[in-house]
Amino acid sequence: MLQHRPRWWPSFTSTLRSTAMTARIGRLLGIAIGVLFLTGLLSHYQYEPWRWLPVPARPVWGYRLTQGIHVATGIATIPLLLIKLWSVYPNLFRFPPLRSIRHALERISIAILVSAALVQVATGFLNVLNWYGFGWFFVPVHRFLGYVLVGSVLLHIGVKLPDIVYGLRARVSEADVLTEIPWNENPASHSNAGTLADPPTPGISRRGLLAAAGTGIGVVVITTVGQTVTPLAPVGLLAPRECSRGPQRVPVNRTAEQAEVGTSAMSANWTLQVVGPKPYALTLADLEPRAVHQARFPINCVEGWSVGAQWRGLSLLEIVKQAGGTAESRIQVVSLEPVGYNHSFVVGPQLGAALLATHLNGERLDLDHGYPLRLIAPNRPGVLNTKWLSRIEIVS
Amino acid sequence: MKAWRIILVLAGLLLLAFGVFRLLTEIPTGSLIKLGIWLLAALIIHDILISPAVVGVSWTLRRTVPDRGRRYLQWALIMIAVLTVIALPMIVLRGSQPPVKALLLRDYAANLALLIGLIALVTLLIYGVRVARDRHRHTASVDRGE
Repeated sequence: MLQHRPRWWPSFTSTLRSTAMTARIGRLLGIAIGVLFLTGLLSHYQYEPWRWLPVPARPVWGYRLTQGIHVATGIATIPLLLIKLWSVYPNLFRFPPLRSIRHALERISIAILVSAALVQVATGFLNVLNWYGFGWFFVPVHRFLGYVLVGSVLLHIGVKLPDIVYGLRARVSEADVLTEIPWNENPASHSNAGTLADPPTPGISRRGLLAAAGTGIGVVVITTVGQTVTPLAPVGLLAPRECSRGPQRVPVNRTAEQAEVGTSAMSANWTLQVVGPKPYALTLADLEPRAVHQARFPINCVEGWSVGAQWRGLSLLEIVKQAGGTAESRIQVVSLEPVGYNHSFVVGPQLGAALLATHLNGERLDLDHGYPLRLIAPNRPGVLNTKWLSRIEIVS
Repeated sequence: MKAWRIILVLAGLLLLAFGVFRLLTEIPTGSLIKLGIWLLAALIIHDILISPAVVGVSWTLRRTVPDRGRRYLQWALIMIAVLTVIALPMIVLRGSQPPVKALLLRDYAANLALLIGLIALVTLLIYGVRVARDRHRHTASVDRGE
């Protein structure tokens, strides 16, 4: 079959690529995608928990940890994915391009895998940077594309299992040279010709390449993860968020201006309506004497940044009990914000721990942090800690 | 291994189909068209622009830089490429957000330049040590009359 290859067909001469190396990079990438999938599902659960299994309130840093891992792993996955794709690029030029229906199906599944992986990590990172120019609603597409991606990864592992086993058993420095000819059809491949001397890699060695890529990815992690791991903030040369530069040393994700609440939130006639069996209202003057509960909860955004903060405010459960609710009630908190993520539900352990915060890090809440009153509960994404509250409802 | 392969392939196909089904039934057509364009563009940009460019750079290096020095240059270039991929979108989007978000405020171009400088410095140092050691070894072998 090989002799029919046209003269102009690309051929790869570098001895750097090998199935042994690809299998090792792929193993790491597979683990990374698994971590992304699990932490992603956990994050999704925060938005749509089952009634009988409410999100726990402890550990208070739970979501900070899982979503911090999700975003840090996602950022590290971008170069890892590119290196993996570099290592198998000659496979794109297999000859003949399609040898059977099975081979055609495999190539289609690879195309789905590669494009889904690239778009998933790229749009995930762009979302972290608050760039929404891709033009679709990020959250559901990211989740469903995640299913497509993980499905194609499982399919890919199943199809390639013999290559993966061969690659992981072989030493990185020996094994085959990965070219456009598959190792098991290549008579010069180490597995088919008995034991050969290590192929010469006159430039960087295979181990050298893995070390360089690993070091580069390590530097990326160290210089970006400061937006989540506060002690590393000073070396956050490439960190998207610089948490300490936000008002009251906490970043803002949605500003009062974006939410169009400037006038309504600053109004002296603001009231909090508490709706339940015994409805009542609280005015600004009513807040201060009741804002005696303190808690140290991190604020952790779905976009990965997080920072510890000291909160003071009213106990949500006390407010709810006064209106005739109980610790088992399902509570909806509603914002002055007219559209968007302007409400959220609080149930179970989080209801017992939640504060309606008036103070952040010792100061009266900044307008951009939700003045005059916001929800803050432990182990909960920032976007569900509704700001600029106007109404508390006992739903059931 | 055969049983494992069948399980993996079936599980993969199921999850893949589930994802496609959810996309097609829950995402508006306009968004799906844009997503389709992005998926296709990702393949084209990666397979037809970026990868040939990388192959071209390797090919050029192999023909222009001697083996000993090339090893260190490749080391540095791989690390620089990894950092640049992450820094580039932030360089472009810097300052695009309200300051209270504390987002994209840093001078990412300068920070990337600093990191590249550090990588270059460390690589040059290690290369210098290598050159000196080779020269020393060469002198030693000449002294022994080899």
